[in-house]
Amino acid sequence: QFTPSDPPPPRRPLNFAEAHENDEEKKFRRVFHQLAGDDMEVSPKELKDILNKIISKHGNLKTDGFSIESCRSMVAVMDSDSTGKLGFHEFKYLWNNIKKWQSIYLSHDSDRSGVIGAGELPHAFKAAGFPLNDDLFKMIIRRYSDEHGDMDFDNFIGCLVRLDAMCRAFKTLDKDNNGTINLDVKEWLQLTMYS
Amino acid sequence: MSGIAAKLQHDRERSQGIGSNSQAVKYLNQDFEALRRSCLERGQLFEDDCFEALPSSLGFNELGPSSYKVRGVTWKRPTEFCSDPKFIAENATRTDICQGALGDCWLLAAIASLTLNKQVLYRVVPHDQSFEENYAGIFHFEFWQFGEWVDVVVDDRLPTRDGELLFVHSAEGSEFWSALLEKAYAKLNGCYEALSGGSTTEGFEDFTGGIAESHNLSDSNPHLFKIIKKALERGSLLGCSIDITSSADSEAVTHSKLVKGHAYSVTGADQVEYRGEMVQLIRIRNPWGQVEWNGAWSDNSSEWRYINDDDRERLTNRSEDGEFWMSFSDFLREYSRVEICNLTPDALSGDEFKKWAETEFEETWRQGVSAGGCRNFPDSFWTNPQFVMKLEDVDDDPNDDEEGCTFIVGLMQKNKRRKRKIGEDMETIGFAIYDLPEEYSGKRQVHLKKNFFLRNRSSARSETFINLREVCSRFCLPPGEYLIVPSTFEPNKNGDFYVRVLSEKQADFQEIDDPVDCHVEQIDIDEDDISDRFKSLFGQLAGQDVEISAFELQRILNKVVARRNDIKTSGFSLTTCRNMVNLLDRLRFSMTIFVKKDGSGKLGLVEFKILWTKIDRFLGLFKERDTDQSGCMSSSEMRMAIEDAGFTLNNALHQIIVARYSESSLSIDFDNFVCCLVRLESLFNTFKTLDKDDSGEIELNFLEWINLAML
Repeated sequence: QFTPSDPPPPRRPLNFAEAHENDEEKKFRRVFHQLAGDDMEVSPKELKDILNKIISKHGNLKTDGFSIESCRSMVAVMDSDSTGKLGFHEFKYLWNNIKKWQSIYLSHDSDRSGVIGAGELPHAFKAAGFPLNDDLFKMIIRRYSDEHGDMDFDNFIGCLVRLDAMCRAFKTLDKDNNGTINLDVKEWLQLTMYS
Repeated sequence: MSGIAAKLQHDRERSQGIGSNSQAVKYLNQDFEALRRSCLERGQLFEDDCFEALPSSLGFNELGPSSYKVRGVTWKRPTEFCSDPKFIAENATRTDICQGALGDCWLLAAIASLTLNKQVLYRVVPHDQSFEENYAGIFHFEFWQFGEWVDVVVDDRLPTRDGELLFVHSAEGSEFWSALLEKAYAKLNGCYEALSGGSTTEGFEDFTGGIAESHNLSDSNPHLFKIIKKALERGSLLGCSIDITSSADSEAVTHSKLVKGHAYSVTGADQVEYRGEMVQLIRIRNPWGQVEWNGAWSDNSSEWRYINDDDRERLTNRSEDGEFWMSFSDFLREYSRVEICNLTPDALSGDEFKKWAETEFEETWRQGVSAGGCRNFPDSFWTNPQFVMKLEDVDDDPNDDEEGCTFIVGLMQKNKRRKRKIGEDMETIGFAIYDLPEEYSGKRQVHLKKNFFLRNRSSARSETFINLREVCSRFCLPPGEYLIVPSTFEPNKNGDFYVRVLSEKQADFQEIDDPVDCHVEQIDIDEDDISDRFKSLFGQLAGQDVEISAFELQRILNKVVARRNDIKTSGFSLTTCRNMVNLLDRLRFSMTIFVKKDGSGKLGLVEFKILWTKIDRFLGLFKERDTDQSGCMSSSEMRMAIEDAGFTLNNALHQIIVARYSESSLSIDFDNFVCCLVRLESLFNTFKTLDKDDSGEIELNFLEWINLAML
């Protein structure tokens, strides 16, 4: 019943990607290079600086800024080679999602409070492709909302990034599509410690 | 891309045999059979959108889109410029391979050697392809890439100029398997230009999955003749060549009719009695099919008259076919190097060849955790991944003066971000081999620590540390257990690598790592044990609801740590505090002292006391392990601290912890330290709770997984 965002296409050779980029993508690649520096990888600290720079330009998003902890967590769920950093493709994927989720956030803040209240949350998540059950919402509110049950922008994004990654992880491991996955203790710890 | 899950799934598939030659991985998920079928149904010829007929597929610099070298190039299908194209005409032979406008002679020499071993050739070039039956403009080839076989499809649009192939072509011009093979290999490497410059051994390995050794003949192994003889018995691919000092020397013919700078094949080795002495002979083939050595033991030389009839009958072959014998001593003098590609057992079927036993491992070096550098760096060397090898049986070799077990170790770095120029992006790598001390014998799950390497010398090692794709060495050691430690030269270089050991007899080989387990001491506290002072403190902190929430906990802890200047911390995050509450919540659940209030996520008195005691222990541990008193944990201090806290973890998990919890300086401060230990304990507890039947495996459906993973 869940529709996590489409997985990115398989990685192509670098020159293939470059030859097929439209102008927007070319611009994005240049920006990425500036942000990520010579190693072409984004660390949690760099991610935090980028995200906070962007949201400071949007007055209508209420947020206390992305914390380093939530950026670490975002990098962790996307990183596949345990270097603790994001490469170009991962970052682009994350970026596109954040853009999409930002507009969902704005359109679901019906009382213009700048935050998503507990009542607005199910609709917003449904619009993002995650219709959850009540128990999950309770848990998510406990984990991501403040003492009053409101979720601000950085927590909204942090939560969706994780939810999306965990849905994809399940799909990846449920190769035979039987609806269950089996994990031994090493796999379990690798998946859950690195998140 | 799907994070760790993708890696786990890859490991699972590997263990199920995907990636072996019979179940090659489909490169870029392109399925040859399905694509061909769909093309045939639609009546269209295949056009590969993953490697298009565009300038960018040719190259980036010398063959780049604006280079004069690619001017006038058009991509054409063989059917468009050849009246009767054949995939393979009768047999694939070395004349099918003539170099084009690309400096990939190393690759062509490897392809030429490949044609000498049909069995190996058929694996790379599936023969059931043609321009007639089921022709849809699509072809496929299989290559070995870092431990996996990959199936690569290409369309048959080839770069041409003036109606002729730009790159590899057959002598007759109508046979296309070699040009298509080159295209597939170019696709795998990004573009044609990426193939420019390389070593034949690299090509050997990518076509066979074998380990290629190179022997320099001016300073050769005293057992080289025996090594060559055994290699031939094992069906290995052997090549030899004479180095050139300038390009003008290339293909220059010496007065004894040997060609310089040219790739020969070694096809035989034998011994005969000549005038009362044993003489070692070697048979060599010039792939031109002509131009043969004219010195001692050549086709018509007089030496053959002085050996017995049986030997003569067995060995002589007087025809101008490019193949000739020479004495091994002449060979050592005339030639510069021998390259031996040792084939792994899966490359050979049937009984005609003796086989090596092969074992392999994939691992990674990661900054601050497992990228320990070489032995010059004793503080971190021990953190490198370690493998144990058990050699049990000595070689079958009655003539040998040296009793021992022969084995070859190949350490290959995976170069995922395949840079175009060879040598770029390659780390300097090598390995050391140690005798495993007796007390560790049989105990596989112990990662040897710093002191072991300070006290013990290596018993063997790779010849050098070098920035090549693979370092490979041959050893002969007495039976016993050995530890192999692969590393980069300098510490903190990230890299993925692949280790293979080929042994003459079956050897036991495994990564040694600690068993993943948790034996954290449980804290048992009763309300009666709690002092009145603590109770009143709790009363003040908890406020009216007599419970402490994650938010309150965060404020309390940060107040406490702010007062200490002997530990570094950026303050406890709300996430850490939530993790702590969750851990204790779970404890409450199992203790049943309290009635579980529907996930209130708050701590009562006893839980808070337990947590307080825990944090106190963490603080003690942190101080004790912070040996350099920096106020934070270096990643190697962290490894030991995790052990003290009651966890044993494997390499992958240690890597994850550093990636997740360390600062960019690779140090871990106090709040991250606590967060990590709390989370570990909590995750171990969850697993144990879910693994009701103690099978070591849990099964989760989607909702269960999301519920747990979002915590």
